[in-house]
Order: sequence, then structure tokens, then C-alpha cells
Amino acid sequence: MILLQSHSRFLLQTLLNRVQNLEKSVELDYHWVEFDDVRYHVQVSMKNPHILLLSVSLPTPPLETVFLGGLPFGAIEAIKSAYGVIVQILDPPRDGFNLTLKLNLSKLPPDEEYRHALLVKVASVREVVLGAPLRVILKYLASRTIAPDIDRLVALVHRPNESFFLLPQQAEKVTVVFPMRFKDSIDTVLATSFLQEFVESRRTAGLNNAPPCLWSHSPPLELKGATDDALSANAGFVTFGNITRLEFLFPFLVMLLILQTRLCVMNAVIFPRHVEGKKLDRTVWNLSTFHAYVNYHVKCSEGFMHTRMRRRVESLIQALNRAKPDQEKTKKAAHTRSFKRLSLKESRTNSNS
Amino acid sequence: MDPTSRPAVVIDNGTGYGLSSIIVTEIVVAHNLYTKMGFAGNVEPCFIQPTVVAVNESFLNQSRSSSKANWLAQYSAGVMADLDFFIGDEALARSRASNTYNLTYPIRHGQVDNWDAMERYWQQCIFNYLRCDPEDHYFLLTESPLTAPESREYTGEIMFETFNVPGLYIAVNSVLALAAGYTTSKCEMTGVVVDVGDGATHVVPVADGYVIGSSIKSIPIAGKDVTLFIQQLMRERGEKIPPEDSFEAARKVKEMYCYTCSDIVKEFNKHDKEPAKYIKQWRGIRPKTGAPYSCDIGYERFLGPEVFFSPEIYSSDFTTPLPAVIDKCIQSAPIDTRRALYKNIVLSGGSTMFKDFHRRLQRDLKKIVDARVLASDARLGGEVKAQPVEVNVVSHPIQRFAVWFGGSVLASTPEFFAACHTKAEYEEYGASICRTNPWVTWYFHFHHEHQFSSLVPSVLGGKGRPHSSPENAVKFVASRLCQHLMEQMEYQIVGKKSAELNCIFSVQLT
Repeated sequence: MILLQSHSRFLLQTLLNRVQNLEKSVELDYHWVEFDDVRYHVQVSMKNPHILLLSVSLPTPPLETVFLGGLPFGAIEAIKSAYGVIVQILDPPRDGFNLTLKLNLSKLPPDEEYRHALLVKVASVREVVLGAPLRVILKYLASRTIAPDIDRLVALVHRPNESFFLLPQQAEKVTVVFPMRFKDSIDTVLATSFLQEFVESRRTAGLNNAPPCLWSHSPPLELKGATDDALSANAGFVTFGNITRLEFLFPFLVMLLILQTRLCVMNAVIFPRHVEGKKLDRTVWNLSTFHAYVNYHVKCSEGFMHTRMRRRVESLIQALNRAKPDQEKTKKAAHTRSFKRLSLKESRTNSNS
Repeated sequence: MDPTSRPAVVIDNGTGYGLSSIIVTEIVVAHNLYTKMGFAGNVEPCFIQPTVVAVNESFLNQSRSSSKANWLAQYSAGVMADLDFFIGDEALARSRASNTYNLTYPIRHGQVDNWDAMERYWQQCIFNYLRCDPEDHYFLLTESPLTAPESREYTGEIMFETFNVPGLYIAVNSVLALAAGYTTSKCEMTGVVVDVGDGATHVVPVADGYVIGSSIKSIPIAGKDVTLFIQQLMRERGEKIPPEDSFEAARKVKEMYCYTCSDIVKEFNKHDKEPAKYIKQWRGIRPKTGAPYSCDIGYERFLGPEVFFSPEIYSSDFTTPLPAVIDKCIQSAPIDTRRALYKNIVLSGGSTMFKDFHRRLQRDLKKIVDARVLASDARLGGEVKAQPVEVNVVSHPIQRFAVWFGGSVLASTPEFFAACHTKAEYEEYGASICRTNPWVTWYFHFHHEHQFSSLVPSVLGGKGRPHSSPENAVKFVASRLCQHLMEQMEYQIVGKKSAELNCIFSVQLT
């Protein structure tokens, strides 16, 4: 069981590796893909071992989302504020990518802890870039104001050609709607029941503080005005009523599967402070990977079911073996009592079987 | 979007032949059961992790003691046990830190032993390490050449049912080790793979991408034995190594200082003449007290790897040297493949990384082969001169994960996606399609067209050489066949027989 971390494990490993042997010059050229079709490319050349080129390609945005120069709005500012001097944005980016960052590893701060934190931040470049517009909106929420000149309905990309929706036009709360789509029919069924269960268990004790959460088969009224294409979901729609408390929902999601008793750990919620500082980052990450999260749990539960099916088959086979006529049993017992020398003919048939 | 536009995921679960080493120390197990995972088209895998799962079974034990009426507790205990697990290095760390986690090795003797653990292992590999959506990528997995087809079916079932992969290819690891040489030499899919792991050594002949199962040879001498031998040598010489650290120290010495010599006697002399140049120092730390110690490393530097070439210095049970085993293996393979097999002997596995290992192997093998050719020439009395047999041991710098690299190369070719079994096929035909994976499609493109195209169309009366009459065509083909057979004759030392056959053919031709 895992909570998806915001940093890419491999990217962090590569960065730490590089920083540790900075003077050693190596040729590095690596590309890989993460969930939701986020592609990475890392390049280090022999000549400049302290320069690392990191390219990221984002999922293809659907029509309704706003992309400026291949990046979601607010992304450039977010990168600059998160990384400071160690990162330089290259324009134009590497062919086939949305963003290319030039990391100067020799400019990293000498302080061990701070450096590690910064590298983790670099490794979570995906959260910084894709979560940028979400962060902008949530910051307004934290200050209880409404963003000027913002649409009634904001669409944000989270998967290739798919987006989720935000209704930021209230000072006190932001509503988030996720259209859930799954490719496989079994996955769709599992995800639907999973989401229904999810909504249901909000009513249990200890979860009173979690934000209101709704699930429906048809698009909720808030989504009026969105295109039909964006509203075709086969596993229904999930609506989170009050975003400020959403972060409490995610531990809950895990708890639901792991420890129901531990739920009481979650205490009373104090209102807008929860989208401040680190909590803001977590909320942003949790929201933008909600689909990946559900997908992961669907796969987990499928694996879990298979395990149990295997166990059941084993127990049934055992029962069958027990039910075999006694004759065979006694024969077997006789065999085990002493070794029986097989004749040539018998041993041959044995080996054939 | 089409999954074929994304790089395929390559997971090599490691062969893990060395079950016996579990008894020696846990660390060694971790060393030969490494799983390499990453994306196709790259040179190195993303992660190299021990194939081990740590499961928290304390919940299950609790539920056993409770009464049957408390089924809900039992149920949730089961759920919890299913969710609370770790893999790889994390698993090893957890099991060391606390008693609640039990280590499970899903693969034993190169075969999947525990499917529940394997499924969990894959789940973590995909979601936690590679962080990819399995629906977005084709998958290439490896298996040992001795795996039962049923086990492939299970693998397919898990991959298609649980993870919904769009396509799956299960490759034999020795074939992939061969494919790793694809970039260096021209796609040569015939050869012998010498896989020296930690627990066992296998010699696997492969022809045209298919394993010749009946000719696989195994040797009980492998990396672990080299370590044990070094340990023994150092102990007998009276080096002051704390006993609890001696195995680990020997392993480090093996990895850092060992090399293959061309001649033991000469090497002994060299060491005696210039001890300053050859004798190294090993510095270690006593694991219990933390006090440092140091010792000399002398002859074991070359005597360790010598175990493969003169096993009698190590054990009296098995005394056939590795080159002789390889020769035996090739001699037992079909006659028309032997020349090609000698020509392409590929090393794979960590214990082939000793300096000059491939040179020594090539020289010794060449000796055996030349002796045989000479003997046959002498027997024939100079009537038929055999073509010299080319012996070639190939080594490349990525031997340690040659299998993974081979998979990466294979999976980045466009033909790979056509060779995969897709989810649609799985749903149509069931798990049995996973029993075999076609290799030929892309291989024939590269190889056979060049070699045999001149022969095949002429038989069919195609666009090969124009033949005035069918008789001529038959004659031409017959002569080609004769040539072909004669070439092969030289492999087998049949002496007179070869000469007789030669007569028969010449008679038939005239």
C-alpha cells in the first residue's frame, strides 16, 4: 500500500547520485514515462558534468483547458519561485517536450538538509508545473478572496485529453468535480462501487470533519456549460464540496482500506488555514492525482481478489483430496511406510506422468 | 493514445538460481535475486532491487487465535496483512528492524514459487518504483529457459487480468543476453550463453532465437563458490579476519581485486618476484566492535576465478573445467548449428566480470577445438582439409545486466509490438497464448533473408538464379545442399564416415 509521492523516485535517485559524484563526469541520457503520460528526459554530457538538462512533457490538454505556450497558466512563475537560481528555463524546450530545465548542480546550497529538500522539490517538478493553476486558485481561497477575472468554471488537465473542473467563485469554498473514466469494463465496475463506498463512509463516525463528497452517474449541475466531450464519464462523477478540508479525505481514503480504528486521529478542522504552506502542496498534489490514485486502488483490489481466489481454490482442492475414496489413502500410507523398489517398467511410467 | 507510442516496460526478475545460498547469508541472496526494471530504449535499468517481499503476518496470527464468530476482525486482519508489505531493499531493512515482517522470496531456482508474493512484487514495481500506469505500456518480462509453460500462463493471467497491460512478451533470459550483443555485432541470434550467477552456472545454446533445451548444461560452480574458495584460502594462510566478517570480506575481495590469469605457475612466479606490485591490502571494520583491521591479499586474486578453469583445486566432486563443459554443450547441439555456436559465445551474469575472463575462456576452448580438428585431419590422412573452426567469446561492458539490456534493445524495435500478445488476443484465446512468444518475425527480417534468399527462391523457381530446366535447378540445389552438409561434417569427427559420405555425394552429383 502506498500513497503516491509527489517526487519521481527515479529522478530523485538520479539527482542524488549526480550530486554525490559531481566531479566524476558521466554521460547520462535517460527517458521514462510516468502515470497520466508525463514523460521525462534527463541528459548530462561529459563536458559539463554539473549541468543537468531535465525535460518534461505533459499530458495533451483537452480543448477546454487553458495552456499558455505549452504550459498551464502560472507554471513559469511557480518554477521560478520554487527553484530559484539553480534552474534556468530553456526556450524553446527540447523537441517533443513542453518544458526543458537547465539545472546547475554546482549552485546547490551546501547545507545538507536544505539541499536534499531542494532536490526533492526538483524531483516533484510534475507537481510544480501541473499543479500551478490549482495552487493559484487555492491561494485565493486561503486569503478568502475571489480571484479577479476568473471563469465560473475552470478546467484543469490531469490526464491526456481529460480534465477535472473547479468552481472557484465563492470566497468560502471551492468545489471540485472529477469525471471518472476507465478503459476496462471490470475496472469501471470496481471503481464505481469503490467511489460509492467512498462517499458512503464519509457518514461514519470520525469523518464528520471531512469535506462533503458526492458521487453521481450524471454530470452535476455545476458543470453546466461544459462540452459534452468533457462530460462523458463511464464511472460517474465525484464532487468534493469543500476543498479546504479535502486533505483530510486522502488519509481517510487510505485508512478506509487499512485502519478504520485510526480514523479518530483526525481532529477538528480549523477553517482556511489548511491551504497554507505545506498543506497547500499536499492538497494540490492529492487533487491532481486523484484519478491515478483511484486507478491504483482498483488494481490493488483486483490483486487482492486474485489472492483470495487462489486461496479458495487451494482450500477447495484440499477438500476434494480429503473426499477421495479411502482405498487410495491406504495405498498411499503403505507406500510411505517403506521404500518400494520400482521395476524398470513402473519407473518409466512414473517419469512419463 | 496508442500504448505503442510509449516505451515498453522491461522487468527482468532475475533468475535466482541460488536457493542454497539462503542458508549462507541473507545478503548473498539479495545479490543474486536482483530484479532489474526500467523502460525500453535506455542503456541501464531504472532500479535494481532484490526480489524479496516483506509481509506483515502478525495480523494473521492474531486472527487465528480468535474465535470463528469474530469474522469481521478476521476479515479486516486479512485485508491488513494484504496491504502491509514492502519489497526490495525496503523489505530487507524492515525485516532487520522489526520482527513483525517476514521475508518471502517469490522466485526460487529461477521459478516463481509464490504467486501471491510475485503479484504484490509486480504491483509495487509498477506503481511505487516505475510509477507508471500499466495500461499505458507494453510489458516485457523474463523467465529462465527451464520454466514450465503453466507458469507463463499464470504470469499472463496476472499481467492481463490484474494490471490490464495492453501487450505482453515473455522472453527467455538467455536469448535476451544474446540480443544484448545486437548493437556490437550484427543481430546474431545463434550462440551459447554462459550465465554465471551466484548460485549456479548455466550454459545455454540458442539457435535462431530458440533455446535448444536438451543441450542445456549446468555446473555446480558459481560466484558463491569463488567467494567460499577465497575465504578458505585466506583462512588457511592465517590472515587475521574476524570470522563473522570473513564471508563478506571474501566477497568484496572477489569483486574488487580478482582477475583471471593465463597460467597459474607463471602467475605464482610473478607474485613471488614482485610481491609489492601484486599483493594488495584489504582494510575492513569488525562488525561487532567497530575496530578496523587489515590483511594481505595474495594468490587468491587469481586463484579465485581459476576455480572455473581448474575446479579440482576447489572441490573433488566436480572436476570438469568450464571450457570443457561449453564444448560438450555445443557438441550435443544439432550439427548444423555448431559452427555458429562456437562463433558466438556470450557471457552474462556478475561472475563473468573478472578481468580477462573471456580471453582465458576463448583460449582454452580454442585449444580443445583445435585439438579435435587436428585429430580428425590426422585420421583422414590429409584427404579432406577441414576449415578451421572460429571460436569467439564475446564480452561487453554491460554483462552484469546483459539480460535487461537485451530486453531493452528488443523492446525498442518496432517489430517487438507485433510479436507481443495483446489484451484482445488474451481475451479471445485465453491464457494459453502466453505459452509461446513468437521470436521469428523480426529475426527473419534481419538475418535469414540475407543468408538463404539465394537458395530458397531457386527451389521455387522464383527470382533466384535462372535455370534452364528443372533438372538444372535440382542439380544446383543438390550441390548447395552438399556444400552445406560438407561444411557441417567438419564439426563432427567421424573420420572415415565423412570421407565415405563425400564419395556418396560426389557419385550422386555425377
